[in-house]
Amino acid sequence: MKKLAQLFALGLVAFYAQAHANDQLKFEPEAMAWLCAPCHGTMGREFHESMPGIAGLDPDFFSKIMIDFREGRQATTIMDRIARGFTDAEIHALAAWFAEQPAEQWNPEEFKHEH
Amino acid sequence: MSTNSPNLTRRDLIKNFGLGAVALSGFFGASHQAFAKNAQHVVVIGGGIGGSTFAKYLRFADPNVKITVIEPNKEYITCLRTNDVMVDLHSLDEITFGYDTLRTTYGIQFLFDKVTNVDFDKKRIHTALGDQLNYDKLVISPGIDFRFEDHDGLTAELSDTDIPHAYKAGAQTLLLRDQVQSMPQGGVFVMSPPSGEFRCPPGPYERASMFAEWMQKKNPTGKILILDPKNSHSKYGPFRKGWERLYGFGTDNSMIEWVSLDEGGKVTTVDAKRKVLITEYGTEVKYDACNFIPNQHAGKIAHQLGLTDNSGWCPINRNTFESEIQKNVYVLGDSSIADAMPKSANAANTQAKVAAKAIAAELKGETPGQAILSNVCFSLVGSRYGISISAIYEVRDGLIKPKGKSAGVSPIVETPSQASLEAVYQKNWHRTFVKDVFG
Repeated sequence: MKKLAQLFALGLVAFYAQAHANDQLKFEPEAMAWLCAPCHGTMGREFHESMPGIAGLDPDFFSKIMIDFREGRQATTIMDRIARGFTDAEIHALAAWFAEQPAEQWNPEEFKHEH
Repeated sequence: MSTNSPNLTRRDLIKNFGLGAVALSGFFGASHQAFAKNAQHVVVIGGGIGGSTFAKYLRFADPNVKITVIEPNKEYITCLRTNDVMVDLHSLDEITFGYDTLRTTYGIQFLFDKVTNVDFDKKRIHTALGDQLNYDKLVISPGIDFRFEDHDGLTAELSDTDIPHAYKAGAQTLLLRDQVQSMPQGGVFVMSPPSGEFRCPPGPYERASMFAEWMQKKNPTGKILILDPKNSHSKYGPFRKGWERLYGFGTDNSMIEWVSLDEGGKVTTVDAKRKVLITEYGTEVKYDACNFIPNQHAGKIAHQLGLTDNSGWCPINRNTFESEIQKNVYVLGDSSIADAMPKSANAANTQAKVAAKAIAAELKGETPGQAILSNVCFSLVGSRYGISISAIYEVRDGLIKPKGKSAGVSPIVETPSQASLEAVYQKNWHRTFVKDVFG
């Protein structure tokens, strides 16, 4: 019971954070998040590759590393350039969106048929 | 719900993948076996990167709409990685994809047929096999077509035999592979890239790179000569640095030589019988193998349906990709005029997602949101040497422009890890990308 209450509280916090962030957003969070799929998988749910899955990431971790990429504080090959396309508010909205996605491989059935 | 923390254990991962299978079939299960009779119908012409991504993502945006893709071929071979096939790093089979997942998991209907005409007033499509389909929204993503007529002596027939363009994946990919690989020792491979707007701007230069790596081992006295009708090209700096490092570029012993427009690189005439290209200054260049990539414009069907302007490409509303010429018709990918965006697969993929959201909104009577787009494009300079170009895009002043300071190419650095990591990511990207499109 206590666990359920905690989850509920967390959900509310996430909802509040997202609603608040969206006030200042020019773009729908999902529209921004879909751009990440070519490298990180549909809904960020590709976990078999060197470009990591980003679904279900802790939103604080997501925001911090994106801002660190953008500001040149985190070594990378390409994410510094990508991150420079997003404002703080957009990064927080992305973080909240990906935090809500299950950290599960997208379409594992398809994966079985791969060459 | 599973979590994705940087400390995720192997056991967590295995557990998560197991759960994923259940979640997915539950979400897109039986509900798409049948559509209501009054369901709105979105028809897509072309099952390539743009069309397939669009169909999948429209299903995310609208679980109830009926989606039909009309495509002549039962399988799609990606142009992506064909340059690897030409040097035996991949087989064509490895870059060939079917539509089973889109059909079964996402409830998208496929009609393997060709569109012959569209009656825009009646919103009705006619196909070669005699089918007629009504649509509420029509999306076309027809890729490119070639302007053979821009060069004397160049024809479609010639590209199928003596001078392949190999700029659509398939038979010509293998033809060019065989022609270059069977050159005599010390032979000259001449490439003529296109001018103007064309598909995959770094493609010709990656191709030259991959053949250079192959020739280092198999034909070390051979040469690659690029006769370019341009003074610069995509990823210019990173390609040059890579060629210097790997192929002696800029020295007398360089495997690759690049002749710019100002240096007389523009070819005007092809003489396949004498195996000669003639430049605008009348210089005759003899070749042993030749890759002539013609100038390009929008895919045939776009011209046939009157969706192109004087540029040969399709003008669109930048926030929705709706044609500026026909209402309720949308043009995605290479054929569209997308300003700063290159004609790349990743660009087509994100344009498809913008159109999917816009069309889903319009079908519900809502106003579409602001478009946000991206491009990430990796090229190989060698099998272990990758470079990239990337940008996020938005619409400003009616045009698609890079957002923030996101646009840029790989930095030229002394540490070898940048290039070797980007070569790893290039392969990673292709595998993940095709799953986002077809899986």
